[in-house]
Amino acid sequence: MAASLVRFVRGGLGRSYNLARTACLLQQQTRLQSSDTSPTIRPKDAVVNSDQLAAFGEFVAEMMPKYVQQVEMTCFNELDVMIHPDGVIPVLTFLRDHTNAQFRNMIDLTAVDVPSRQNRFEIVYNLLSLRFNSRIRIKTYSDELSPVDSAVSVHMAANWYEREVWDMKDFPLSGYVEVRYDDELKRVVAEPVELSQEFRKFDLNTPWETFPAYREPKEQAPKLEAGDAAPEKK
Amino acid sequence: MAGLLKKTTGLVGLAVSHNPHERLRSLYSKILASLQTMPQDAAYRKYTEQLVGERFNHVQSEPDVETLENKINCGQIEEVIFQAECELSLARKMSEWKPWEPLIEEPPTNQWKWPV
Repeated sequence: MAASLVRFVRGGLGRSYNLARTACLLQQQTRLQSSDTSPTIRPKDAVVNSDQLAAFGEFVAEMMPKYVQQVEMTCFNELDVMIHPDGVIPVLTFLRDHTNAQFRNMIDLTAVDVPSRQNRFEIVYNLLSLRFNSRIRIKTYSDELSPVDSAVSVHMAANWYEREVWDMKDFPLSGYVEVRYDDELKRVVAEPVELSQEFRKFDLNTPWETFPAYREPKEQAPKLEAGDAAPEKK
Repeated sequence: MAGLLKKTTGLVGLAVSHNPHERLRSLYSKILASLQTMPQDAAYRKYTEQLVGERFNHVQSEPDVETLENKINCGQIEEVIFQAECELSLARKMSEWKPWEPLIEEPPTNQWKWPV
């Protein structure tokens, strides 16, 4: 059963690769012929159908039972793989390097904050396989203290996203070094920011004078005494 | 024959391989050797052995590069070589990670329940 499953996945995704190219051509042709197709709606895709993706999800779960906790299809036929936080690097590397997966592009990385959960942060990785024209979403979790391995060693694209996640959520990521420009040293230093600025309180008066008629008399500007007359020029 | 020589793969950073058969043969035998160290029932070993063995047979039996590309059906031969290199590094990492072991930790209850 398992062997036939993988053959199905392989054949399925491999076939989808060829189909993707022809479908692409077809799409171009139809676009040329008629302009009434709405480009904002994703067309019903016979190429990446949900069965293949679901089978691929089972395949991933079977390959890495140590890390994969759950696999599910969303209502829009997207594949979600829920993994244990220790498995971030193994699973991402497997998906990048395995010949049947080849999810070589990281499209997005973000974190979701669900305060009512025991592990309140949910980290989401969106990957794309150009070879097989399919996408996959990896989810893992963390709380405020336990760090998650940085994915930069697998996908360079994760660098910026992880900085963003860290900035927005104060999120514990191992291997993350915050870099900032130090004004005194005149160079980039790798140490955490200290916000030395106090909390500012503005008095919310209008900048315009409300009662110009009742203006308080200003202090008289000091008068300049006339100096000695300059000697006449000859 | 000179006209048939491939000048470029058309892909940035991927040079034309002059001895693809030799390269693939050595890569595939290295992958198979590193798979030997894994337990027999590991899913990764089973599927990768099947996949690599299939491609290895194609490489052994088919001297013509273009027919070989069609048989493997995973892009140009240089891309296939690149995939094999990735697979080799993955196989070596896999034997460290041992992902065929049972799940390390169950998720906390309601971790994956949505809506909350």
